[in-house]
Amino acid sequence: MVKVKNPFVAALVNIAKSQDIESFKKIFDYFSPRLKSFLMRSGADEAIAEEIIQETMTIIWTKADYYDPKVASPSTWIYTIARNKKIDILRKSRKAILEDIETAVLPPIESKADENIEHDQKFDMVARYLDDLPADQLDLLKMNFFEEKSHGEISEITKIPLGTVKSRIRLALEKIRGKLEQDGTMADLNASNESSMIN
Amino acid sequence: MTFEIVTTPANTPASLLFQQCLVEIVPDNKIMNMAKEEVAGYFLDKVEPTTVSEDLWMKVLNKAQIKKQSRINTPTDPFLNQLPVSLQVHLADKKIKWKSFKDVKIATILPKDNNEKLELIHVMPGAKIPQHTHEGNESFLVLHGSYSDEYGSYKQGTVQVRSDDHHHTPIGHT
Repeated sequence: MVKVKNPFVAALVNIAKSQDIESFKKIFDYFSPRLKSFLMRSGADEAIAEEIIQETMTIIWTKADYYDPKVASPSTWIYTIARNKKIDILRKSRKAILEDIETAVLPPIESKADENIEHDQKFDMVARYLDDLPADQLDLLKMNFFEEKSHGEISEITKIPLGTVKSRIRLALEKIRGKLEQDGTMADLNASNESSMIN
Repeated sequence: MTFEIVTTPANTPASLLFQQCLVEIVPDNKIMNMAKEEVAGYFLDKVEPTTVSEDLWMKVLNKAQIKKQSRINTPTDPFLNQLPVSLQVHLADKKIKWKSFKDVKIATILPKDNNEKLELIHVMPGAKIPQHTHEGNESFLVLHGSYSDEYGSYKQGTVQVRSDDHHHTPIGHT
């Protein structure tokens, strides 16, 4: 079995346990420039982007003990903190996040419980699935979840019919959900804190 | 066939918190939400980095050190434990100010801003709430317990949208 060791999981644990500045610097060096790109793409100017990065990094430093490697990969946890801070600070990005509500009520798929799968391997499987997607399909996911565009906007930009945009995104999400559920995540989730949701 | 509902404004602090509570108490939403977040995290990992200001690290360090001293511990209020963790985290450093009515208490979670608000409603077991209507369109999510009115009963995870022409007489369950 392949074991994946995401170095940022260890860094977050070190911050939580021993307030390790070196680990914090590692996270800052890797994620700040990426967060800046993300924030500036979604409408923040340079000063606001760096303000949001400061807020995000402060939360990582003070709330690293909320990070649960079973719930999210480090990039995802850090992304959600930054996105929440962005919404808090910008207070003007008004896109309909509920428009794709139908993807939230899909029937549950059968869980293939395998206790031996490492949690970060599960997230690595998601990453490898995305790596293997054709570029045009990957773009749809990027526009929807990273650039926070609505299905309607994506359809206009790509000239792909709205129904096709929806069904392709839905199909990919179903696949990803299958990978996330492979190690009995549901049981873990119900017992653990929702640590990816810190604001 | 597909049916959709759209609500505006979305991506406001109130709608985000509402959404997070919804995601937390409906397990199937939770895993779907995890999938969406992982997709976003994947792209954060792949995005072309943008150089940050030279003094940003020092700024972060200063800010983080100050915050460290004023670190907040979530109080172990048994009432708070019944709420979704997102809401607990949000309320951790705040004093909840309840407005009491007979069998109902209402607290403002986010102050009114741009026509949006977020309120927490605490209904006592067996409470009979007099017939009333609503301010504009209001979305309701049952976080814990259940209640009913002349139109049906609503358990944990139920979302209802009520407008100012909606009259009902809710009763809290035990």
